[in-house]
Amino acid sequence: MTSKNELSLVNAIKASRRQFMIGTGVALATTALYRPAIANGGEVTIISDIGNAGQRAVLDSIAADFTKKTGTKVTINNMDHEAHKTAIRSYLVVGAPDVCFWFSGNRMKAFVDRGLFDDISDLFAKEGYSDKLGATMTAVTVNGKQYGLPLGGILWGLFYRKDVFADKGWTAPKNWDDFLKFGEAAKSAGMTPISMGTKELWPTGGWFDHMNLRINGLEKHLALMEGKIPYTDPTLKPVFDKWEELIKANFFSASAPSFGWEQAGAALAQKKAAMMDLGGFIKSAFPASEEGQIAFAPFPEIVPGVERYEDFSVNSVHIPAKAKNRQGARDFLAHFYQPDNLGAFLEAEGTIPPRNDCPPSKDPLVNIAVESLKGVKGTSQYYDRDTDPDMAQDGVKGFQEFMVKPERRDQILARLEKTRARIFK
Amino acid sequence: MWKKHRNWLTPVLFIVPGCILFGTIIIASSVESIWISFLDWDGVGQKSWVGLANYSELFADPQFYVSLKNNIIWLVMFMAAPPLGLALALLVNQQIAGMRILKSLFFIPLVLATVTVGVVFGWVYDPNYGLLALIFGLFGATAPALLADEHFVTFAVVAAALWPQIAFCMVLFLAGLNNLSSDIIGAGRVDGARGWNMLWHVVLPQLRQVGFIALAVTVVGALRSFDMIAVMTSGGPFGSSEVLAYQMYEQSIFSYRFGYGAAIATVLFAIMIVFITWYLRVMVRMERETR
Repeated sequence: MTSKNELSLVNAIKASRRQFMIGTGVALATTALYRPAIANGGEVTIISDIGNAGQRAVLDSIAADFTKKTGTKVTINNMDHEAHKTAIRSYLVVGAPDVCFWFSGNRMKAFVDRGLFDDISDLFAKEGYSDKLGATMTAVTVNGKQYGLPLGGILWGLFYRKDVFADKGWTAPKNWDDFLKFGEAAKSAGMTPISMGTKELWPTGGWFDHMNLRINGLEKHLALMEGKIPYTDPTLKPVFDKWEELIKANFFSASAPSFGWEQAGAALAQKKAAMMDLGGFIKSAFPASEEGQIAFAPFPEIVPGVERYEDFSVNSVHIPAKAKNRQGARDFLAHFYQPDNLGAFLEAEGTIPPRNDCPPSKDPLVNIAVESLKGVKGTSQYYDRDTDPDMAQDGVKGFQEFMVKPERRDQILARLEKTRARIFK
Repeated sequence: MWKKHRNWLTPVLFIVPGCILFGTIIIASSVESIWISFLDWDGVGQKSWVGLANYSELFADPQFYVSLKNNIIWLVMFMAAPPLGLALALLVNQQIAGMRILKSLFFIPLVLATVTVGVVFGWVYDPNYGLLALIFGLFGATAPALLADEHFVTFAVVAAALWPQIAFCMVLFLAGLNNLSSDIIGAGRVDGARGWNMLWHVVLPQLRQVGFIALAVTVVGALRSFDMIAVMTSGGPFGSSEVLAYQMYEQSIFSYRFGYGAAIATVLFAIMIVFITWYLRVMVRMERETR
């Protein structure tokens, strides 16, 4: 499943991260003027999995604008986000649209390996994207070829309410001792220190990522994701020891498996919980009038000296290999990917633009994330995007069990190791 | 030509579309599922023959036994639906003012999609603000987080699923009660049967066929249970509320293991076959008796 290529991606991310971060969010005058391809009529079909109504409206207007310029009709079929995750596997094989949304990294690679996504390196060359994209380009690159256009990035970390922290006189914990003290303070204030809903399983994966990145660093974390380190490896022991310490100290929401991340986010908004580990989309759990209260802090340091690595996941847009109108799809993507259009599209979602020439965001959360990324040494995507989907499914399930029954750690890890051995032969 | 063969052509023409549908959608896909269960396949890529490896892995998988146990819990608890449905039917079948409203109150869960029932019960069980928490709160107690507890979760989900199932059985029995032979009931009355005796010796024997259908539908409903689990728990916490049907879905869709999922489906099919064989035998016997 894995290759040397992916490690080289990591190195590339590390190398170009700095340039990317400096460029991102900074407004530059658009130099590349878009020229529509020969207006040839025809039709481009898109399957969209966007749940956000505002963002769908932006996509609609970009599509209408494209039709006006080129005469190409654009049909957008909207799907439920979760349902799309299962539907994509059948429609890529039979009845592919011309453009579809998906996730980069290993999630994309799974389809690239099976020849289901079109190689769009030609579009990259023609539009000169490599100069504009920086590090996120590696997230859509396999064996030196590009298979998608990166969309918004999500920086993961701890979110909290400014008013609550000001009221209690708290500051965001910087290191492990701070974090433990903060938890005690939150508990004595009658709040859950960390809001957590694990019904959808994946939030546990994010927590594991943070702990492992802070303790073992990026390289070892990615080696684990690629199946090169066993789950029973002694380097993981401190990760679960520390995690268990938090669980036993009642840091996390009680009965977390019975509700999802949205309810957990609501608990933060309602001041029942003090912090929550998520991406900027946490704002959807807040009433619009209180979005200004949301603040971000990086996950605290655990082992001094380990550099700051973060989960930074990137969504992307692709052309299926079996698309009927592959040229039309390229023309549409070139139009869609213009800095102004892309900027408007991502602004509605609140994610970080991959292009360094998008207009600056008006969303304070995005700007905070952009600022925070400057101090980041390297990034992983997210547990369920970095590792094999089969492994991820068993992994997040195991972490959920660990959070409820930490005493079963050895059984759980032995089970995960069995899965790893089966998948990464 | 048509006139000559009409006698056998007409039934054939009616049966053919059904046979084609049944053949392709049920038979062919079942056979294909069994075939896939011998393969290692992720759903889109290369298939490779692995023989019985999926089965030997399945029988060594602790999750399989959790799912199987839950299937049995579903089956046993669902057996409460026919008698409770009958009791309700007898209750609402009386000529009392306002009974229609009562009837429709019991009937309502059948109108709702099971997914809706699942979502609503998910709220009822919520340990923070659900109805259950309110009730416990009245007595100064804290409600258990039913859906987060590996020992309670299946019972909680089945309890929610029973609600529409009981209503369904009630409707079946109501229809049966409407078809009671008034001659036999009158004869029973002449012989002095009333109350319990009337029910046991006169009414129930006439409901035997309906009761059998209610039982069959309930067994099938229990074995194919899936949607309530998907909505209420997603199989969680950590797989403790999964049944075979959900485990098959999870393995095929989320873990990209169609071969393994097909093996689970085949095992579920084998369990169903036992029941179907019994069902067909009883049906045939009943047909003979009534003839």
